[in-house]
Amino acid sequence: MAQDTGGEAAAGKWYDAAKATFTTLVDTLHSVSSAFQLINVPMGIWIDEDGRVVRPAEPAWTSTRTSVYGGKALDTEGEEYVAALRDWVTNGDRSPYVLSDEEFARRVKPRSPAEMEAEATFKLAVWFQQSGRPELAAKYFERAQTLNPDDWNYHRQEWSFTGDADKKWLEKFKGFDKEYYPKLQLKKGG
Amino acid sequence: MQRRDFLKAVGAASLAPGAIDDAAADTATSPAATVLYDDHVVALDHVGPDSKRAAGALWIRKRDLPRVNGFALKPQGACRADLCIPIPKEMVRGDYLNLTAFAKKAGQLVVADAEARVWSFGEMQALGGGLSSSRMAPDVTVPDRLGRPVHLAGFRGKKALVVTWASW
Repeated sequence: MAQDTGGEAAAGKWYDAAKATFTTLVDTLHSVSSAFQLINVPMGIWIDEDGRVVRPAEPAWTSTRTSVYGGKALDTEGEEYVAALRDWVTNGDRSPYVLSDEEFARRVKPRSPAEMEAEATFKLAVWFQQSGRPELAAKYFERAQTLNPDDWNYHRQEWSFTGDADKKWLEKFKGFDKEYYPKLQLKKGG
Repeated sequence: MQRRDFLKAVGAASLAPGAIDDAAADTATSPAATVLYDDHVVALDHVGPDSKRAAGALWIRKRDLPRVNGFALKPQGACRADLCIPIPKEMVRGDYLNLTAFAKKAGQLVVADAEARVWSFGEMQALGGGLSSSRMAPDVTVPDRLGRPVHLAGFRGKKALVVTWASW
């Protein structure tokens, strides 16, 4: 599910290169990020046969490694994630990686008023970007980023249009005092 | 240039036909108002006169309410599924309903650019507060690479792994 306001023009070649055999969607409005409270990519959500969210948003890498940017480490925990996912696919509700209702409630909190305003503001920014009004898009991108500075999607999507994305990302990453990707909490029975 | 052609020209090619309400899409002029609601965009060809004056207030035709937010006006109020929200008389003027006032009553934030005539609606608290209050996956509709709408609810009966990524 590409979170790409640039649409097929931006995302298509990556799907082609991956020779994707799964359902490939292009979410120009970031609707899924909005619905599931996602603030970065890549993120994964597990949904069972009844439409119940088994595990809410968490980093969905396939490889485990540590990369260093500007002297700061960025970890991905893909091997553990894929192993847990395989277990759930095989064992369903009996999988120890299915979250209890209590754990789910601990991980998914109601949005704050600022976060809700940020969401609606970001949609406005995306709309103006798609409508060929970048000056208005910039105004609302900035407002969304101010309301919810921890949402990397708000920043990274805008940087894809304004240029110097790598430089801007590195600057924010180095100064970010929280985890860029939250550590996976794959405790069995959680 | 028709509206849909304009949007395609600026790169919004993957907006599915169903993602844009087409009531005004084929008009030669801009819509009277554009509403951004959940996963869809609604172009309105008629809005109340206050929408053109008062900053932020949006009066829509009552009959446009269902296609904007899925609510329908009934004697007991505006209703959607099992939820009915009473509508005070000051929220109605003839054939028009104050949508922004309704949103406030339903616990929904609205961000508007009144000059550009675009209103963006946030999560509606009256519907239960989203994922934090229910483990049921919201039924989001997202277009595929050819612009065809795909409903997340269409995957019921199978396990689904939703993975978001981006070219950026």
